[in-house]
Amino acid sequence: MGLSRYVLGRVAWAGIVSLVIVTATFLLLSFAPNPNIQEAATQAALEGNDPAEAVERERELRGLDEPLYVRYVDFLNGVYTFDWGWSNSRAQPVTEALLESLYYTAQYSVPWTILTVLLGPLVGIYSAANMYNWRDHAATGFSFAGYAMPNFFFAIVISLVFAVWLDLIPVTYKTGVDVFSLQNLRQLAAPIFVLVTGSIAGTMRVARNESAEYINSDFMKTAKAKGVSPLRAYLYHVTRPTMVPLSTTLVGQLLALFLGASLLIEVIFGIPGIGKTTFDAIIAQDTNLVLGATLVFTFIAVVGNLLEDLVFTILDPRISFDDR
Amino acid sequence: MATQKPDRFDDVNWGELADNRRINLTINTKLALVTIVPIVLAALFDWQFVDGRETLTEELGSLAGEELGPVSTLLETVGVLGFFKGFGLSFDPTPVDYLFVITLLLFVFYIILVLWQNPRMTKYYWKEFRRNRPAVVSLVWLGILAVVGLIGPFFYPKPEQNVLHGHQPPAFWEIDNANAATCLGEVQGGMCQGTWEYPLGTTRAGRDVLGFIIHGATISLQIAFIVTFLVVVLGVSFGTISAYAGGWVDELMMRFTDIVLSFPTLILFLLVTYIYGSSLGLFIIIFAAFGWGGTARYVRSKALSVSEEEFIKATRISGASVRRTVARHVMPNTASSIITQITLLTPGFLIFEAQLAFLQLGADVPSWGQLIATGETDIEFAPWIVLAPGIVLFLTILAFNFVGDAILDALNPEAEAEADRAEADA
Repeated sequence: MGLSRYVLGRVAWAGIVSLVIVTATFLLLSFAPNPNIQEAATQAALEGNDPAEAVERERELRGLDEPLYVRYVDFLNGVYTFDWGWSNSRAQPVTEALLESLYYTAQYSVPWTILTVLLGPLVGIYSAANMYNWRDHAATGFSFAGYAMPNFFFAIVISLVFAVWLDLIPVTYKTGVDVFSLQNLRQLAAPIFVLVTGSIAGTMRVARNESAEYINSDFMKTAKAKGVSPLRAYLYHVTRPTMVPLSTTLVGQLLALFLGASLLIEVIFGIPGIGKTTFDAIIAQDTNLVLGATLVFTFIAVVGNLLEDLVFTILDPRISFDDR
Repeated sequence: MATQKPDRFDDVNWGELADNRRINLTINTKLALVTIVPIVLAALFDWQFVDGRETLTEELGSLAGEELGPVSTLLETVGVLGFFKGFGLSFDPTPVDYLFVITLLLFVFYIILVLWQNPRMTKYYWKEFRRNRPAVVSLVWLGILAVVGLIGPFFYPKPEQNVLHGHQPPAFWEIDNANAATCLGEVQGGMCQGTWEYPLGTTRAGRDVLGFIIHGATISLQIAFIVTFLVVVLGVSFGTISAYAGGWVDELMMRFTDIVLSFPTLILFLLVTYIYGSSLGLFIIIFAAFGWGGTARYVRSKALSVSEEEFIKATRISGASVRRTVARHVMPNTASSIITQITLLTPGFLIFEAQLAFLQLGADVPSWGQLIATGETDIEFAPWIVLAPGIVLFLTILAFNFVGDAILDALNPEAEAEADRAEADA
């Protein structure tokens, strides 16, 4: 009974959070000067018509003459029925534009997430197993360097060295490539590498510090005394308890990177993913698309936090759901 | 027989003591009040009576010096003019500058001065800190940056456009003469040599990279100090209040924190920039408004665990008010973990600013990120424009991490004992 009730509670909470954020975005946009209306006014003034009248007509056309609460209800209806309006800059429905971009974003973010989740804890536990010798120091140094290197700067340097000077990877991203092809791997290798070095560092650091606690624990001594192989001992007895605290930071870190760095990575490498779409929409003042992209990012953040809590409770059977 | 009896516990007039306490401010608070109140007044005066000041550019600012007389006169009469001069601020401080000076003063009185007042503890912490050699180097680097950021802009001119001097290579570097606008140095075999006039070269528009980096250090310093200060004030008060209130207040406050943490900050910032345009002040406000969530959560959990301790119970039993318990016992005992968290939080803001500046969405100030953005198109033949600020940014963030790690070890004797044990084992 505990788990299902807990999950239900969390899902309901996730819904409330996204509602609050969506409302805030809506208010922010509704109090902002609408570029389309200004454009209409300028247009009318240029053509010698009455600008005020044109503004009135444009407002009516866009349904902005309705009171705020009516527009809010309409907006909410649109959000939850996936009718997110028309993107002017891309000349297609917002949902379609976003789905298209997500297709490209997923191509690099799925391998990136998998690599981070696999490599981060492994390197961290390896580092903890060799604590305070040169291997640990090398891994720590690498982790600090990876964390401190601003992703966008690293991306620029990587593309300078490997694409421009060494000509190993293509300079521009091609969209028509098969997902599972060598060519796609070549053009996605650089962004994935940059993102993994950025995200692995924090994960590995947490894994190192957390697993240090378990490496000298009594149950590890017992395991060793019983003749359990070191590999099994580390993979089975150390990794499991380490993953519990790690899972709380992992999702958060990945999300922070996803929401921040992926936008820059996409802009630098020219990947037409969700980040670049958002950025282009803002530059082009495409209100509907901006709003839609904000919703997608919010949704990902809310779902990510939800998953984080669920994974936490599933990994650690000691946590009782009734307490939360 | 009965000559001198020692003071007895029950002879102490507690009422008198309690009265004394109320008036006796520490020297730190006095100094802070004496210096900060005039600055706040100056800022208010500035805000109320001298308007339209922000629209003036730097050059106009110096031209209009006569006109802005009231500000400097006021500053002079209250005697804080020296501060503004000393901190590398012009006569025409923006609201950000006022805030910056205030946070700097708070930093001096509540961190530097406190360390000075407790030499024994300072020596102990320094001994612990010194064990971590990269951290010492990092601290020196941060110190240099702070000095450069504070006084550099006064000695080094702001990078100005000069198209004729575009793409000058740094000293000891050479580029194809075809790429430099007019080579200032010698031309050897068609390669333009760098000169000491521009030690780190120039951008396409001929702006001095070194000057850009020095002025960028000020911006980074302002962001680091102000945002961190605001985040700490918000996060610590929110976290402690939440932990201490408990019950539904706690629940409500933490749920609110959840929402703040779920906001996609970058997108929000892009949105706000897109609607209202960007400035350094707006930037700082948004960072602070959405950056405190993690700190609040952290402080709350720390405060909860501290308030379970026996000495807190003892304080309560001896009749201390909640306010006093929190301010004198709970907060100081969470301070060490807060300091560690700050050193890991601050570089995040610097990266964030650089990212936005790189996207050309940052405020119109000479920041490192903007320099990276300027140089990106010419990176093939003029990589120094991107590399110089990028490396400085990288080193700064690295330094923050090393220092944070060392502070964590210095303030946490348990971790140290663990390290000793491991060293003994090895």
